Amino acid sequence: MATLEDTLTTKRTPLYHLHQANQPNATGWQHLGGYAIKAGQDETQVEPTTVAPACGLTDLSALARVGLRGKKAATILSEKHYQLPAAPNQALRQEDGSLVAKLSASEYLLLGSFADDGERISRDELAWQAAERAHRLPDAYLLPRQDTHAWLALTGSHASDVMAKLCGVDLSPKAFAPGHVAQTSVARANAIIINASQADLSCLYLLVDSASACYFWPILLDAMQEFEGKELNIMALRHHHPA
Amino acid sequence: MNRHVSPENIQTMPTRLPAPMGSLINRQQPITFQFEGTNYHGVEGDTLASALIANGRYLLSRSFKYHRPRGPLTMAGQDANTLVQLPDEPNVLADTHPLSQGLAVTGQNYSGSLDHDSDMKLGKFSKFMPVGFYYRSFYKPKGAWKFWESLIRKKAGLGRYDLNATGSYHDKAYLFADVVVVGSGPAGLKAALTAAEGGAKVLLVEQQSQLGGALTYARFDDAGVRAGQVREALIPAVEAHVNIHVLCKATCNGWFTDNFLPVIQGTRMYKVRAQECIVAAGAFDQPAIFRNNDLPGVMLASAAQRLIRHYAVRPGKRAVVLTGNDDGYLAALDLHEQGIEVAALVDMRAGPVDTRLTQTINQHGIPLHVEHTVFEALHDKTLHHVTGVDVRRITRRGEVADDSLTLECDLLCMAAGYMPMYQLLCQAGGKLTYNDDVAEFSLSNLPKHLYVAGSVNGLHDLDQVLQDGVIAGTQALHSLDLPATEAAPLVGAPKQVNFPWPIFAHPKGKEFVDFDEDLQIRDIINATRHGYRDVQLVKRFSTVGMGPSQGRHSALPTARLVADATGRTVSETGVTTARPPFTAETLSHLAGRSFDPFRVTPLHQRHLQLGAKMMPAGDWQRPAFYPSATSGHLDRDRCMQEEAIHVREKVGLIDVSTLGGIEVRGPDAAEFVNRIYTFGFLKQPVGRTRYAAMANEQGVVVDDGVSCRLGENHFYVTATTSGLARVYQSMLQWNAQWRLDVDIANVTSAYAAVNVAGPLSRKVLEKVCTEVDLSPEAFPYLELREGKAGEAPARLLRVGFVGELGYELHVPSRYGEYLWDLLMKAGEEFGIRPFGVEAQRLLRLEKGHVIIGQDTDGMSHPSEIGMSWAVNRKKPFFVGRRAVDILDEQPAKRRLVGFRLPATSAKPLEGHLVLEGSDITGNVTSCEYSPSQDAIIGLAYAGADKATPGSHITIRVEGGDEVNAEVVKLPFYDANNSRQEM
Repeated sequence: MATLEDTLTTKRTPLYHLHQANQPNATGWQHLGGYAIKAGQDETQVEPTTVAPACGLTDLSALARVGLRGKKAATILSEKHYQLPAAPNQALRQEDGSLVAKLSASEYLLLGSFADDGERISRDELAWQAAERAHRLPDAYLLPRQDTHAWLALTGSHASDVMAKLCGVDLSPKAFAPGHVAQTSVARANAIIINASQADLSCLYLLVDSASACYFWPILLDAMQEFEGKELNIMALRHHHPA
Repeated sequence: MNRHVSPENIQTMPTRLPAPMGSLINRQQPITFQFEGTNYHGVEGDTLASALIANGRYLLSRSFKYHRPRGPLTMAGQDANTLVQLPDEPNVLADTHPLSQGLAVTGQNYSGSLDHDSDMKLGKFSKFMPVGFYYRSFYKPKGAWKFWESLIRKKAGLGRYDLNATGSYHDKAYLFADVVVVGSGPAGLKAALTAAEGGAKVLLVEQQSQLGGALTYARFDDAGVRAGQVREALIPAVEAHVNIHVLCKATCNGWFTDNFLPVIQGTRMYKVRAQECIVAAGAFDQPAIFRNNDLPGVMLASAAQRLIRHYAVRPGKRAVVLTGNDDGYLAALDLHEQGIEVAALVDMRAGPVDTRLTQTINQHGIPLHVEHTVFEALHDKTLHHVTGVDVRRITRRGEVADDSLTLECDLLCMAAGYMPMYQLLCQAGGKLTYNDDVAEFSLSNLPKHLYVAGSVNGLHDLDQVLQDGVIAGTQALHSLDLPATEAAPLVGAPKQVNFPWPIFAHPKGKEFVDFDEDLQIRDIINATRHGYRDVQLVKRFSTVGMGPSQGRHSALPTARLVADATGRTVSETGVTTARPPFTAETLSHLAGRSFDPFRVTPLHQRHLQLGAKMMPAGDWQRPAFYPSATSGHLDRDRCMQEEAIHVREKVGLIDVSTLGGIEVRGPDAAEFVNRIYTFGFLKQPVGRTRYAAMANEQGVVVDDGVSCRLGENHFYVTATTSGLARVYQSMLQWNAQWRLDVDIANVTSAYAAVNVAGPLSRKVLEKVCTEVDLSPEAFPYLELREGKAGEAPARLLRVGFVGELGYELHVPSRYGEYLWDLLMKAGEEFGIRPFGVEAQRLLRLEKGHVIIGQDTDGMSHPSEIGMSWAVNRKKPFFVGRRAVDILDEQPAKRRLVGFRLPATSAKPLEGHLVLEGSDITGNVTSCEYSPSQDAIIGLAYAGADKATPGSHITIRVEGGDEVNAEVVKLPFYDANNSRQEM
């Protein structure tokens, strides 16, 4: 595994310093999407039980994400072979493991996949940026979600119990099934919550203002404490997202 | 913190009743504790009160007013008789507080000792202290209250608060349920099961530590087996049901609209949201009102039963039971079965409804006195415990015969009737109606999705209670559109359990209606004689129901007494309003774990590493200033001056990422910006920036920023740090009306922004933005470029807030730290240094730039603050246009002016007043010592006639001194703008 120095690039995730303070000199850093991330153990050597505790928190901010909205947004996404959710506040996992959330009648949020380290979303974003500059993206507007939002994943069977301490929306699996999206207030700050659970792992994605990420992280860890929740590195979570 | 209990002087372990009595205790786990300096034994599961009574200690507290000895009344935390003092917490209910090893407890509200309270003599003067006496006694002569107040306050209040106590972690959590059931007695259990079996997600809230309610302590049949059978049938089924979430030791403390319920459990407050709510909270056992009904050893029959069944504690040796219903018979049987001699069962009625009970009582040899009452509880000189009772025949309602039967006893149990636990239901808008036939209140007018079941619904027969639970559960299922079998209706009439008038006035008084406030029968009647006919006024005048037990035992007798005294029905009189909370709750429960969101820029870590003094700006953290380059200290004025001078002479950089950033894109982008801001933007060239001021509909300047035209249909506008949210919201709101074809996106967090300012700034940037021609000709003042800063894509703005050659670089926030490091490294050879918000504010003041929100207020319009130049009069519309025009036609009353004072003068502070004679004409908005001017400079509102340069304004500074400042033309620095446009 590489050292932090080896992997450090020009880009930082909003929580980079927090992770760096927790693991300053150790090895166990690697590249993801052009960012240095705390990778932890080699995923192939990790027992599934150790990576899926009843409650875990992972920073996925290094994975690609982008927003697109406007009258033509759906058409543009369909042209790129994205499957779109039928209604606002729904999310649909794509075949490659990426996820498309519909936030309003004409707004979409695209979240990258573990399978390609978010490569597809990054590539499409670059293409759309170029098209936008060349005025070839009429009636569609890119939203820089990679920079506006930090991406956190709350996993395990207690995920909704943790959120019940922070959010007034019922996020229990019965009321907030996989594929549901809530745009609401968490611990008095805005957040987009997506139920991204897969067959073997309950998972809530939290997209929060990147400038507030340092506020959210300890708040979530504190709320997780009674469930013996712990911080998970991104590789541990990848283990449970084979797509 | 618990004090250590020394092994000496520990009382011997008291004996307990044999199992199965004692459902809450673990006899194998002894606990030693201390009360009033004496060491005692208890066992795990005991409450303080149960353990003390097991040790023969009944006197736990002193009453509020007369300091009468008091012992447990309810054993359920429903009265104030057991309030005790813990080392770090006053007013703890001993009958619910769990015993723990080494716990050291004392009494409270006494002078001397709990057993010998010298304040008890106050009781002898009770005749001279009638209800409301101090309202009428201590306010004359004028000023007398000042004298009396301190004496009264000294005596008022209970317990001592430990000011050194440290708070513990409290939090809140939401809980969601289809159906919430409050109370887990037979009705609650049945309702929960019915709803859960129908597929509803049920939350069952129980105040006690075990499920079952009255099933855990009361007796429902003469054989004493029914309660156990029902418990065994229902409780395991509830506990095992996957659809039922049980919360024990949890109190539903209020009802709010749409079944929003605060439920307190331990250190957490749950905010419960339920679609359907079933209140099966039960009913409060009621005392009878007779002389000395407050003595230790006089308790509710249910309290004695709780002591027996929950704690295996024998509540006395020789008992008298006073009853107005059949439950008193059953309680007498319980006592008898546990080896307590029952000296008499005194029934206020002609006999039991269930006539078999007479036979059973007789079979057990318990003397029965029907149509009799306890007229007085007897005591020795100390009043520490009941020693006997004076039993009399009832001759008329509330009256007794002269013949007296005296019985010795150390326990007197009362069962005069029930009061439905109406509090939550009345909070929901429920109406209490008194039914004369059963002498009981019933509830009606409940909102939709709220149901009642069991004794709170006026049902006391166990079969009816159970069926009522089924009915309520079924109603909830119907409302949820879940399948449910139709519930069978109730069979039979409700059982009467209330004796209509269990109130017996004694010539010597001391018949307590309200134990908390030491209110006797005559106090309530006297209140009505003073003209307070309404029960709400009686409450306020007499304080009845205002103590810790909140009228649980006083509401019913008070309603009866007021009705009687005012010639009305009890229904007409009613009871006082029940408001949340149901039980006392701590501020820490209400506060919970506080959330105080903050935001940091991508450069935050760099500021911390440089040792910056951070300051809040809205919800952001910003560097106020950095350690002094000369001293290394964080001295505000010195650091600010040094940083400002450095920018003027060399080059500095400041993190401006907190500035709001809004993308306006689409075919109507120019039209939109043109309508939102006061200046003209339709013709703003692509690649140019333009100052943008925003007014509201009242013509008041509410924000400002810079409009950057990146493309024909693309604007990037900035807003002030704290004004962004308001600006963005306002933009969305306006376009909801205008329906322009435009997309508005708040991208504040998407960009890190740094302002590089100072005469050497171009040189620094030339090393960083190699692809951009930075020459003054190619990139003049107010232009903007898109290019790269190192590897990072960047927007470069030539703006001049601080009045020097300067560039603002906006890069995606992921590159923020990289940009900072790049600039710091590139600027090393030019002596680049970071500067903070304080220096920036000083520099802009020297340049005469206004900060919206600091130099403006809720009245400031463009002309007042010298910004008419930023208002385009040719365009037909902008937000606030009409108001701005009207305001401009009015005679000017004040102007924002620049002023100057010698460097040696007293320095005005922001907010200091500007005076003209004795009139206030304005105030100082900004003021600092300016190193470039070697003078104190500032901005202030002054009368319009003082706006001309050369005029003088008077400013009142600290200490009331006045300084005379010269009004000067703005800006103070570089009037011809040569430095920023170089």
